[in-house]
Order: sequence, then structure tokens, then C-alpha cells
Amino acid sequence: MSKKTINIPLGSQHISLLEPVRFKFECENEKIIGVDSDVGFVHRGIEKACVTKFKYDAIPYVVARICGLCAITHSLAYTTAVENLLEGEVTLKAKYLRMLLVELDRIHSHMLCLSHVCENGGFEAMFMQIMGDREYIMDIQEQLTGNRVQFDFITIGGVNRDITNEIANNIKKNLNIVKLKVFEYIEEFSSNWSLSLKFQNIGKLTLDEAYSYNAIGPLARAAGIFTDVRSETNYLPYEDIGYEIQVGKAGDIHARNFIRLNEILNSIQMCQNIIDGLPQGDIITKLKGKPNGESIVRLEAPRGELMYYLKGEGKSILNRVRIKTPTFSCIPAFMEVFKGSNYADAPAILASFDPCLSCTAK
Amino acid sequence: MINKIRSTLNTIVKDIDKFYDEKTYHFLTLNGVKIDEDTTEIQWIFSKYNSINEITILYCLVDQDDMIPSITDILPSATISQMEIVDMFGISVEDTKKGLYLDVDSQQMPLSSCGI
Repeated sequence: MSKKTINIPLGSQHISLLEPVRFKFECENEKIIGVDSDVGFVHRGIEKACVTKFKYDAIPYVVARICGLCAITHSLAYTTAVENLLEGEVTLKAKYLRMLLVELDRIHSHMLCLSHVCENGGFEAMFMQIMGDREYIMDIQEQLTGNRVQFDFITIGGVNRDITNEIANNIKKNLNIVKLKVFEYIEEFSSNWSLSLKFQNIGKLTLDEAYSYNAIGPLARAAGIFTDVRSETNYLPYEDIGYEIQVGKAGDIHARNFIRLNEILNSIQMCQNIIDGLPQGDIITKLKGKPNGESIVRLEAPRGELMYYLKGEGKSILNRVRIKTPTFSCIPAFMEVFKGSNYADAPAILASFDPCLSCTAK
Repeated sequence: MINKIRSTLNTIVKDIDKFYDEKTYHFLTLNGVKIDEDTTEIQWIFSKYNSINEITILYCLVDQDDMIPSITDILPSATISQMEIVDMFGISVEDTKKGLYLDVDSQQMPLSSCGI
């Protein structure tokens, strides 16, 4: 006799989701046996706008609006692609300042994800604690760039603002505070059954599945793939500032939590090294000409690989701006993880993916 | 370094099958670039794990009414990129449905006339 199945939607509005995505689960009792997804609720047509409405030198500020959390990686990937087409080189100081902000962005984004993992596990107090601690990072981002999010800090040829000694000291001070907080989180995530230990073997992506479904970012590294765009590109001198890849093995929610916790610590270390070893020099180089040719740039955003493809023909308006965002390319892997899981675990699994639908529906 | 390899609609699945090893290459995405009013360059973009800036693009030129073969038997994760191409360029992809991004009352195939 065939078993009865029931279809249960998760989203587009759901208490565990901040953003509009809908997964349709086909369940056999509690078990999810089939998944479908709908990600297009907030499509904004930014790729079209970039090749019809804006000149190439305005686009860094347009693509920054794709996402509030990883705005800096969007503008950096775009500007790096343009700089490649213009055959221009930015100064080492500008590269260091770019890395500083990218890593600060990663810290606060991972903290946001971890706080949602806590919230989904029923730890409201810890959710509020991590969100409160995250303000230390938001504060220094504001001091450095003038804004908490959507910081139009990166421009073609360099960065828009220099760092002062006072800001550098504040960054170091706040990073030291956050570092101590992260050690407390690690203690809690390592020892508390309800918070993280019960999620061992839940929402598991095996190494083979990670390869088959082209998983990226923390999702791939938690499953054991040694991949991180920071070590597969040379646009930024990550090897000089103490970058270390963080790789797990288990591929479950617990492993993804620890990849993010360890990456926060590594990013804090890198930011401190950047401040200590900041080179002298200009923050911006004037680049001449108009973009001509094809360029592909990949960067490691907090959720994984972000790719920009540009094509120009020596005009102010580009022919093509293709944006491949991390969550978008991970959707098939997400769907694979859901299959075989219990429906009751779906919100926690989804939070551990750290999905960004603002990026996905760019 | 971008390495571009030209293919055709008849041979692209075979070419990708021959080229792609899941533990060596990472599938980035499917991309479309308008060449002229009728022609679009469809690109299957790959990067190599643990190498610096090594990108390979397999591409073919297609007409608006061509049917692009699906590569999901080789690359299950290509499903979503194929759906995006269908919505954005209005080009058909084998076994791929419309409606990932665009609602029926929105502008259809918005990128089909961009950049030319």
C-alpha cells in the first residue's frame, strides 16, 4: 500500500525566516521526501539596470544595494572586475583597507547567522546577546565608512575614506572585546546540548553531496571541501595578513556553526594584523579609459563565492553585468540537505545555511 | 586567466561531460551575453579548485528559438542557473520551467535586448 504524503510550505512568510523564500516540502509523516523552492519574491532587475541605466563608474554604488549584509563584497567584486578591464592597479594601502572592511563584514554577518541559529534553537537570550555584541562591529564600520550598512567605501581605483589613528585604535579595542565574546560563544556552542550539540547529524551535507551539488562557502567547508575564494584568487594579499582556511568534516548544523565561529576568530586576527601592518600611501589611484573586454572576478562573501562577469566595449555603458551570488548557487544543495530530514528541523537547518534572498533575487 | 572553449549545441553536453570532474572543477554558473539581435552567447563557467584565478568557459552561440540541452545529469546544481537563463533571456532550456524570478505580469525576458 502506498504511503500518504502531505505538502507543507515553509515561507514565504515564516517566523523563522527574515527574508522571502518558499520551500515546498513533500512529507511522509515527519520526514521530508521532496522539496521545491521559489526564490523570486523580491526580484529587482539589477543586472538589467546596470546595463541600461547606469554608467560603469556609478555601478559600484548600485550593486552595493543588492544586499545590506555583504554590500562591500558586491562593490569590491565589481570594482576589481572593472580595474582588470582598465588594467589599473590599486595601492597596497587601498587593498589593505578593502580587506579590513570585507573581514569586518564577515564577522558581523557570521554573528547575525549564529544569533539566528540560537533563536531557532529557542535561545532568545543568546540571540539578543550576540546581536548586542555585533554592535561593536557595526560601530567601527560606521566610524570607518560613515555608515552602518551600505557603506559606499570602495570605488574604482581604491577606497573613498582613509583611516585615522583614533579609528584604528577603536577598531582594535572593539575587536578585542568581540574576541573574548566569541570565546564565550564557543564554550556555549561546545557544551550546550539544546543549542548546538543536538544538531549533530542534523541537516547533514556529505562530502560527496557537497561536490556533486557544487556547495560553496561555510556549507562546503563544513562538509570537508578545502575551498575558499580567498585562497584561490590573488586580487588581495590575504597570505600577508594571517588568513587560514577553516574546514570541518561532519557537514551538519553543528559543524557549520563551528566553521563560522572559527572564521570570526580568524577574521578578527586578520583585521588586527591589517591595522598593525597598514602600509603608507595613497588610498586611491585614478584610472583612465573605459572598460573593454571580458572579466570574471570571484570573491569570498560571508556566505561563499560571489562572482561578477563584466563585458564592455570601451563605452560608458557596459554590455553585460552578470552577478552570481552565493545563496543562489547553493539552493540545489539546500534542497538536497532537506531531503530525508524531519520537517521539525527545517527551520534550524535553514538558519544554518544563512540564506540571503536579497542577494539571490538581485 | 580565462580559458574559453567554443562548443555547439549538439556537442556541449558531451564536451562538458568530458571536461568536468567534480573534484577538480567547480561549476560557477550559466551565463548569457547578447551578441546581436538574434544571437546569444551561452556560457558554462567553471573554476578550478585550489588554483589561482583559473577560469574555464565553455560556450556556444545560440539563436533565440534554439533549445539549449540540459546538463543536470552531469551537474545537478545547474538546475537553478538554467531556470534563470529561461526567465532572463527567454531562451528555452531542455526540461527547465519558467517562473523562477519573474511573475506572469512582469516584463518578460528582460535581458534579451540588453547590451546590443
